Amino acid sequence: MKRTHVVAAFTATVVAAAGLTGCSSGGGGGGDGSDGPVTITIMETKQTNIDAIGKEIPGFEAEMAEQGKDIKVELIADVLTDEQFMTKMTQQLIAGQAPDVLDIGENMAISWSSAGYLAPLDDYLNEWDGWSHYYPAVKEAIVRQDGQVYSLPSGAGVLNLFYRKDVLTELGVDTSQPETWDDLISRLVEVKEKTGGTPIVVPAGTAWGGGTWGEGFMPLLGGTDTEFYDTESDMWDLESPGWLAVFELYDDLISNGLMPVEDLQNPNPWEPTKYEKFPEGEIQVAAQGTWGWKFDWGPDGATPIEGLEEKVSTWQFPGLRSGDQPYGWSSTGGGYAISEDSENKEAAWEFIKYLSTGEPLAEQLVASGAASARDDLNDVAPYSEEPQLLQAGEDLGESVFVVTGDGAAQVGQAVASATELILSGQADGQQAYDAFVKDATDLLGPGLVKE
Amino acid sequence: MTALVDVPASAQTATRPPTPRRRRGQTWPFVLLLLGPSAVLIVVFIVLPAVYGLWLSLTNTQLTGFAARDPKFVGLDNYSYLLTSADFLTSLGQTGTFLLFSAIIGQTVLGMVAAILLSRPWIRGKGFFGAAVLMPMVVPEVVASLTWASVLATSPEGTLNRLLNVFGGEPTAWLQTAPMLAIILVNIWRGLAFAMIMFQAALEDVPAELIEAARVDGATAVQVFRHVTLPLIRGPVFLYLLLTTISTVGVFGLVYFLTRGGPGGQTRIAAIYIYERALQFSQVGIGSAASIILLVIVLVLGAVYVRLAKVEV
Repeated sequence: MKRTHVVAAFTATVVAAAGLTGCSSGGGGGGDGSDGPVTITIMETKQTNIDAIGKEIPGFEAEMAEQGKDIKVELIADVLTDEQFMTKMTQQLIAGQAPDVLDIGENMAISWSSAGYLAPLDDYLNEWDGWSHYYPAVKEAIVRQDGQVYSLPSGAGVLNLFYRKDVLTELGVDTSQPETWDDLISRLVEVKEKTGGTPIVVPAGTAWGGGTWGEGFMPLLGGTDTEFYDTESDMWDLESPGWLAVFELYDDLISNGLMPVEDLQNPNPWEPTKYEKFPEGEIQVAAQGTWGWKFDWGPDGATPIEGLEEKVSTWQFPGLRSGDQPYGWSSTGGGYAISEDSENKEAAWEFIKYLSTGEPLAEQLVASGAASARDDLNDVAPYSEEPQLLQAGEDLGESVFVVTGDGAAQVGQAVASATELILSGQADGQQAYDAFVKDATDLLGPGLVKE
Repeated sequence: MTALVDVPASAQTATRPPTPRRRRGQTWPFVLLLLGPSAVLIVVFIVLPAVYGLWLSLTNTQLTGFAARDPKFVGLDNYSYLLTSADFLTSLGQTGTFLLFSAIIGQTVLGMVAAILLSRPWIRGKGFFGAAVLMPMVVPEVVASLTWASVLATSPEGTLNRLLNVFGGEPTAWLQTAPMLAIILVNIWRGLAFAMIMFQAALEDVPAELIEAARVDGATAVQVFRHVTLPLIRGPVFLYLLLTTISTVGVFGLVYFLTRGGPGGQTRIAAIYIYERALQFSQVGIGSAASIILLVIVLVLGAVYVRLAKVEV
């Protein structure tokens, strides 16, 4: 062979090899069937969870070693917003490159399980004695449309209105539980007149990502209308009356100058609102989950508030429409899941079981500020030493929750866009609702919208 | 008189120039060596994804939900949906505004002015001026975006608001009150250097004697530029317009980091629309169709530029 042919063939081989190497998946440990060591991966995107899971890994590996199993855990720490995580992980799941264990939110659990990206956990759960300790309401909330369970809650929370007790008391504003939103709005107007600021933040707009739906709109909607999703037909009822009522509530809050509209339209709107103005007392009320006690404002949280328990307290969401009673909104739908393409499902399940039991679970709950979804953890330290979390656990049973299904992410996007119209002054409540119906119908398609 | 001598066949072969076919036979390994890797990369990373994107645009493919399990061929449904969608048409309009004011007018005009100024022999501090203009091109897009996010921040601590405060001005939420203007200015700032470099190189090729002759004939500076310099650098100008059109239509990071298409969709240019549809709303079929429509628009614009560049003035 001539020299030029050899060079050409060599070059082509190198290019092909480089391409194939680039396209190949990263090597992992042995599969379920192998006798060798197994390495499983877990991804965490919140610093609190990264720290908490990192602390549990050595204990798990040691326990597995005692059982004669050589399982190692690799923690992939990548600090991302929920929206960034969902976008990134969707690509990885499609490509079969996702970590073995995922720590996910409710919308992700719904979207990914229906697409077939997550492994069903029912067989594992039925053989696990710990499953019987989960609250029935939690079990009901995590069953997906096909009747299977794809994620095991790492914790649960109750969303309420957190308020600055110290600031409102100093301003002479009533701090008793407001029975209705009209009652609360009149108090907020009073605060605004005295401070000149914007006294309340409820997630709204596109910049807040999935939080606008999951931590803002949906808790408000579910408290006044539980018929917006029909579990019989698995369809969204966009004409259910609660939608318009909530859009009009947003309009009231914004048109009265009670919400920080500029902050809400900037990227990462939770930073100037929940992480700056609420800790400084400039925003006095915030829609917030149980995790606020630790993850957001706790001593090791994003922005610690000194003397948190003395300065901050909670109200239940007031009633919105006639006859509505104050309520808390429970948040239980996410949790640990296993990628369908994982080659180490058994090992991944072992790790999830470890994280969901006894002291390891108690430590995670305290770190992230979540209530237990199990009935046998109240005496386990350090969880047993956290009165707010214990109280949240008790409140779970009385909290409202509406199970939804396929299309939740799309509805969330349409809600974000419609509330953005109110924030930017382009629409009132009715116009935003009309825009929402158009967008949601468009995004969901005819198969998911109730006629 | 020349004696005829029998020459051995091997010697004839050695001395006779190779035929074109033989020459091709000798050089194809070199051609393969030089072009092969590029061709493979282009096919694998550009042609095949583009063809796949075209196929996706004819399906109802979704990334999440039950629809992700069973994508179906829908023909031109995605295209007819997009071409009657007010949101998509608005995003195309916003892309046109962004392109016209930031790239075609802003970068090109200011880049030309900067290049002409730097070509003047009497200008002092050319090195500093050139470095200052070049700096935005060197800075990574993410860093540039975050820098401007800080400059235009809503709070009184924002750099621009601090400057305003010096003159007694009130803090302004720039990214809410004038979001399109903000991203246009930032894109001009970022693309100015490339325009300047291209025009500087083109101006250096303009024969000095032509300029001097025109001046001797009494032409003003503007007339010299309009009737002598500009026709001579027409090719590079249209080449720049082609390149900046392609790159500006594809701008994503700058706008995403500054406004994410907001507020209220006021800066939802086509790239943001496609990102939202394909990756946030998981509607890859519609996102792919929007990409193909955008590709066709850019190709038409490119063809117009190429055509104009060949026209005699």
